[in-house]
Amino acid sequence: MTRREFMDELDRLLRELPDKDRLDILADYTEHFLIGVDRGKSEQEIADSLGSPRVLAREILAGYRIHQAQSNASISNMTRAVLATVSLGFFNLVFVLGPFVGLIAVLIGLFAVALALLLTPIGLFLKYGIPGNADEQYLVLFSGMASFGLGGMLAIGLARLSRWLYRQFLRYLNFNVRMIRGK
Amino acid sequence: MNVQFKKGVLELCVLVLVAQKDRYGYELVASISEKFHIAEGTVYPLLRRLTTEGFFITYLAESQEGPPRKYYQLTDKGRRYMNDLVLEWKIFTRGVNQIIEEGIGL
Repeated sequence: MTRREFMDELDRLLRELPDKDRLDILADYTEHFLIGVDRGKSEQEIADSLGSPRVLAREILAGYRIHQAQSNASISNMTRAVLATVSLGFFNLVFVLGPFVGLIAVLIGLFAVALALLLTPIGLFLKYGIPGNADEQYLVLFSGMASFGLGGMLAIGLARLSRWLYRQFLRYLNFNVRMIRGK
Repeated sequence: MNVQFKKGVLELCVLVLVAQKDRYGYELVASISEKFHIAEGTVYPLLRRLTTEGFFITYLAESQEGPPRKYYQLTDKGRRYMNDLVLEWKIFTRGVNQIIEEGIGL
């Protein structure tokens, strides 16, 4: 692979990056080629020891995605970061995607419970209307309030838990790309 | 040597080399690949990450021959991080060495 081929391929693979980052990265490799040629190496040799642009690009993109998910918290950024990390190797399919899908499923389940509790008063009203005698009125009123309160607390707790898990999972991704990078 | 193992060690080597003096990418790659075989291109994403995390700052400097070079300099934060890693590494290798000595006496 010549310098031109190497740079073109890397450029193409990194097209998702903002121009500033992409050009910065390409400049680093250009500098590397120029110094190498200056010291009497062939472009071919230099490209060979740099490694495949495909593997390099995966690594660069994973780093970028994780950084994005850190500075701009959202589910879609986190999903991108997870997928980019998974692309680094089969190992991560099990150790990154597995826990991620599991955590999301548990959180969805718990949020569903919170929602059900919050909606219980409406259910009670639809089922019993406003009962005739005072005892039953109190029963419906207070059981409705109790479950609404529980649901509210659960939802708030879950929102905090989700934020905490988000940060922890990013730390794990960071650790993961640091220790088990590439093939 | 196992590749996965080397990736973690690469970070430590880069930090220590830059702690010694400011260095440019090609120089770092050359000093490391002299000692063990790496996909040299992976050093650059690593340098980038260490820079975004505030462990390095970079500056461009002209050279007598060839293009201007991007130099990496260790920050205080980077130095603390490096010291932690070196300590971890020492403890780790001491443990491994002891196991080897006790096991097969080498």
